[in-house]
Amino acid sequence: MKLLEDEAKEIFRAYGIHVAKSIVLDKWNDESFALIQKEVGDLVVVKALVSVGGRGKAGGVLLPEATPAGIQEACEQLLGSEIKGVPVEKVLVEERLSILHECYVSITIDRLKKSPIILFADDGGVDIEELARDQPAAVRRAHVYPLCETVPEYITRYIVNQKSLQEISQDVTVDATMVAEIKRTVNILYQIFVERDCTLVEINPLVLTHHGVYAVDAKIILDDNALYRQDIACNRDLSTLEQEAEKYGFSFVELDGQIGVIGNGAGLTMATLDLIHRHGGGFGIRPANFLDVGGGADQDRVSRALQMLEQLPNLKVIVINLLGGITRCDEVAKGILAADLSRPIMIRLAGTNEEEGKAILHDRGYGMYQKMEDAIVAAVLHVQQEEKNREGCT
Amino acid sequence: MIYADKSTRIVVLGATGNQGSFHLERMQQYARTVGGAGVVAGVTPGKGGQVVSDVNVYDSVREAVLEQDAQVGVMFVPSRIAKDSIMEGADAGLDLVVAITEGIPVHDVMKAVAFAKAHDCAVIGPNCPGLISPGVISLGIMPTHLTMPGKVGVISRSGTLTYAVVDALTQNNIGQSTVVGIGGDQVIGQTFVDVINRFAEDENTQAVVLLGEVGGNLEEEGAHFAKEVELPLIAFIAGVSAPPDKRMGHAGAIVFGGEGDAQSKINRLVAQGVPVASEIADIPRMVQEVV
Repeated sequence: MKLLEDEAKEIFRAYGIHVAKSIVLDKWNDESFALIQKEVGDLVVVKALVSVGGRGKAGGVLLPEATPAGIQEACEQLLGSEIKGVPVEKVLVEERLSILHECYVSITIDRLKKSPIILFADDGGVDIEELARDQPAAVRRAHVYPLCETVPEYITRYIVNQKSLQEISQDVTVDATMVAEIKRTVNILYQIFVERDCTLVEINPLVLTHHGVYAVDAKIILDDNALYRQDIACNRDLSTLEQEAEKYGFSFVELDGQIGVIGNGAGLTMATLDLIHRHGGGFGIRPANFLDVGGGADQDRVSRALQMLEQLPNLKVIVINLLGGITRCDEVAKGILAADLSRPIMIRLAGTNEEEGKAILHDRGYGMYQKMEDAIVAAVLHVQQEEKNREGCT
Repeated sequence: MIYADKSTRIVVLGATGNQGSFHLERMQQYARTVGGAGVVAGVTPGKGGQVVSDVNVYDSVREAVLEQDAQVGVMFVPSRIAKDSIMEGADAGLDLVVAITEGIPVHDVMKAVAFAKAHDCAVIGPNCPGLISPGVISLGIMPTHLTMPGKVGVISRSGTLTYAVVDALTQNNIGQSTVVGIGGDQVIGQTFVDVINRFAEDENTQAVVLLGEVGGNLEEEGAHFAKEVELPLIAFIAGVSAPPDKRMGHAGAIVFGGEGDAQSKINRLVAQGVPVASEIADIPRMVQEVV
């Protein structure tokens, strides 16, 4: 789950990473300016609190004049606007620091090495993926052995190099105190990464000022598997339907196509989606969702999953593709009947009690497909037919 | 066959839970059918002295190793205590822990896998269906009736996708040497490279089917390694239609920052000379072409 900048900075503050003074506003009123003046000052940055990449370039960060009217205008301009399609509900009004130099630091997980990796660039504030691609040597990387509680000194010594930093940042004296403070920031960032179950922590830029080292931006992504021990009750990156699915233990992703999909197992469900793209993509026919109902799905879970799909706005037809040893086909068949669907459904079932399942469905006029390809082709044809009929009417 | 043979003595970690006791029984049945040593012990802290399907349950892995000479663990414990369970198994001297449990925090996985490695214990998974060598041994939850003994290895990041492919192979009379589900999480113990390395040393395996999905670049690493050891490979990548930054069921199946999307993954595999199937149904024919 992604944290917003103010939430991430709250964590930074609690752990002792320096962040500028700031307040969060969700609307402008008569007291707002006085509050900003008291808590932050006159010279401010106003940032849209949305978790989208490239927020600055998309117009989500404003540098207003140091006047009541200027700040009000900036806040009102952002509040209620959209940044890359995401509505801005809150803004962060933050003290504008006088920046001498910008660096980059992040910690994430390297799947190949199965360990945390620290990335550091002397020159920050830029698009780090671009920098890593165009000048790989400009980004220093170091893996931390997962059983280390803290970052070993030899790693911070390598990551934070006084000589190369001084060469690049000529407006500031990179003395021993400054280097120690950057190292300290890296150490704290690692502590946050581990203790708060992050899959990414990023400071871009990490700025050097006359008053020390500050995190001017803050990005944190939490591990969805660990939300329970971070006191987070629900994952708000999920849509309402997705949250409902999580309650039932389904893996669910809402998409925008016409064919609803239920599968068991992430890989098989994904392969089902891929086949829909393959057969329907050329005609603008796409999956409406991804739903992995999990192993051993019983009648109740199947009918619940089906009823959820019926709430999808563009749904025309459903494909159910279940396979496995512990999935009982008679249970699934009963679940399909219990769901009382208003939409047609293409069924492919293989597993225990297959014949019983087939008989239950056959009695109520439902057919079954032997191969998933056939079920999907039938669904694509159905959507095409329905769209053709609608065109015929108008 | 790789990782285990008929003589391998299994301990089930989390033996008294719903999943644990159910699959203990199934693994035991399979062992009886093929004449293997099967499950010799179960472990659930605090439940020592109980019996599940005629198998003694112990409080610790150490006891299971001392009393029953257990060699390989299959783990079903809840995600919150999975890290501890893997570390305990490694410390007690198990050669392999097959971690079926899903939803383990990734930091716990990194720590447990590093700890196990330092104790010379391989971890398969987590969030995986385990492995099966048809006719030899089942270590996990794979539906055994879909498999048949043979000479093709299968390595996969996904459970049911594996079943679909194994089913297709069997229907076309292509038997399997060992089928390994390595798990769908962001960090896993044994990767494609590790398993391919074992297959390369297995006389019985003539070719390997690699079933990958979006996220990371473990598949490319595996393909590169298979070339080095001259093992014929057929690949299939799920998730061509996966939207960016969405988690498609598996924690590791997320296309993040442009890395690991299915199409570029397929392109890189093809560039390495690996045949990539565009549908599951094509896999048996492509396997027949290389064997």
